[in-house]
Amino acid sequence: MKKAIRNTTIADRILFLLLIVTSIAGLVYTREAFSLGSDVLVEVNGKPVYTLALDVNTEISIEGTDGRTVLEIKNNKVRMREADCSNQTCVKQGWISKGTIVCLPNNIVVIVGSRSKKDIDAITG
Amino acid sequence: MPLQDKYRIAILSAYALALHGFEALLPSPVPWLRFGISNIITLTALVMFGFRTAMMITLIRVVLGSIFSGTFLGPAFMLSLGGGLAGTIAMGAVLSISRNIFGPVGLSLIGAFFHNAAQLFFAYLLFIRRIEAVLFISPVILLIGTLTGFANGLVADILIKNLLKNEQDSIQNVARA
Amino acid sequence: MNALRNISLLILILLTSALSCSFGKASVFSKTMPLMDTMVSITVVADSKEAAESAMQRTFAEIGRFGELINFYSENSELAGINRNAGMHAVKVSPESLDVIEQAVIAAEKSGGAFDPTIGPVVRLWDFPNRRKPTEFELAQALPLVNYKDILIDRAAFTVFLKRKGMMIDLGGIAKGYAADLAVESLKKEGIRSGLVSIAGDIRTFGVKPDKGLWVIGIKNPRQTGERDEIIARIRLGDKAISTAGDYERFFLSEGKRYHHLLDPKSGYPAELCRSVSVIAEKGVITDGFDNAIFILGPEKGLKLAKEIGVDAIIIDGSGTIHMTDAIKDKITIEKGH
Repeated sequence: MKKAIRNTTIADRILFLLLIVTSIAGLVYTREAFSLGSDVLVEVNGKPVYTLALDVNTEISIEGTDGRTVLEIKNNKVRMREADCSNQTCVKQGWISKGTIVCLPNNIVVIVGSRSKKDIDAITG
Repeated sequence: MPLQDKYRIAILSAYALALHGFEALLPSPVPWLRFGISNIITLTALVMFGFRTAMMITLIRVVLGSIFSGTFLGPAFMLSLGGGLAGTIAMGAVLSISRNIFGPVGLSLIGAFFHNAAQLFFAYLLFIRRIEAVLFISPVILLIGTLTGFANGLVADILIKNLLKNEQDSIQNVARA
Repeated sequence: MNALRNISLLILILLTSALSCSFGKASVFSKTMPLMDTMVSITVVADSKEAAESAMQRTFAEIGRFGELINFYSENSELAGINRNAGMHAVKVSPESLDVIEQAVIAAEKSGGAFDPTIGPVVRLWDFPNRRKPTEFELAQALPLVNYKDILIDRAAFTVFLKRKGMMIDLGGIAKGYAADLAVESLKKEGIRSGLVSIAGDIRTFGVKPDKGLWVIGIKNPRQTGERDEIIARIRLGDKAISTAGDYERFFLSEGKRYHHLLDPKSGYPAELCRSVSVIAEKGVITDGFDNAIFILGPEKGLKLAKEIGVDAIIIDGSGTIHMTDAIKDKITIEKGH
């Protein structure tokens, strides 16, 4: 293994560093852009369906394009508790307090921390 | 296509498929994240036997892999195909342009990057349709992809060295005989 | 191996700095509660959830307390006490009630009566949910009772007196803006340096967001085309207040006419020159007090009044054309298609 590392070319190392720096910069940036908010936005097929408060414990059933999923909000965390799909990826993701849960087979996207009108802080009128 | 090439493709594809299947069994810390270890085979094939062989292996791996897991022509298949093709084409292109600038590690990193980029792009195009969601996960995927790409590159490097050595040994044996 | 060690060291440093950035950083917290017969939202920038929660909790309590003092429909409010004793005797009230009534009288004076807090007797005749409009006779009886000059305020004794029996103060057109001011004071007292209070459409902002950006407020399209909460323009605010009066909030349609809650104190009927008016100033009590007045005056006189009292206004007139004061033009973005 050591020999293999020594075998890397200068370009390999530069590329590796560049990728690491870019991804970490990206991580920091997205963390800032998606600062902790208290809304849970549920979208089916790209359309907002529910906007829920993160600090109210609830459980809702969401009709996706291919089946039904059950979303649970508890103690400021969100998880997909059940999903009518083969891969169960969203269920395995577990509890999140920030970021997104995506259920590809059902076209369901759950976003925590972003507002439905993301660039607007309040509406008058 | 010479018979030897077909054998080679068949055997390497089998390896790639085996690794691909094995990986699906591994518990992963983040569900939609894979190590992409089958790329070791693709990369080795690319360096040793050329772009055509690597491309064939990628296609066979994607198609058979999805048939085995029951996702053929489904959404996961589209992601897998897009990612596999983009990764292999990118590695092949870089290798053909610059024979000596990048080693297997660099090629593996490039492959992983384009593989992930293509998957994110297709995921956005086909399913997610929310640029925020894609942007949010992309740095995580990029970081993990870089680390796994690095590791895969090292393994591929060792594999290539050994295969070359074996080949030389066998050539020497033939010469001796 | 040296290169590798350097690389791993560098990665470690980068990782730690990336992680440390994300801790102890100001975040945005927000909460919504039903108060003052509407939804009240508070958004604050705070370092911890606990600090944000306790500040918001106390502020909600403060808004609720004030809301009860001036509740037009509650028997027990101080405002109900004033109205009940109209023409009889002066009523002692708390400083906030006195203050908001005084501010309402000032708004009435400056707008030449286009806004009038004594419109209560007329307001009571209209029942928007049940599509009831008053008869001419009812209006003729109620209108003489509408005159802000008949409110007598004794600042020293903290009393308010309505000169004639049957007079009624309705603070619906100014109280929410005043409450937003109170809420911002409360949040500042709790150590919050930046935030936003929204009481129905009356919004007060202070400080800047964690990304150092101004608060972005959307102005609702008075004629929604389907999408919920479609906005017609967005505006960036720092330490400001914005209020909107719109003919779409409470209304009914009858014989092709729109009867809405923004009543002209002179006629007792809804004013017809505008669809919505947004006012921007330093204080919520100013913006809330003058949005109705400018709405009732219409685009021309309304813009004139805005300039006189030194506030900014965005007026959408009866045909949908947008008029605004000059100073606001570089802070506002009109949405596409308007």
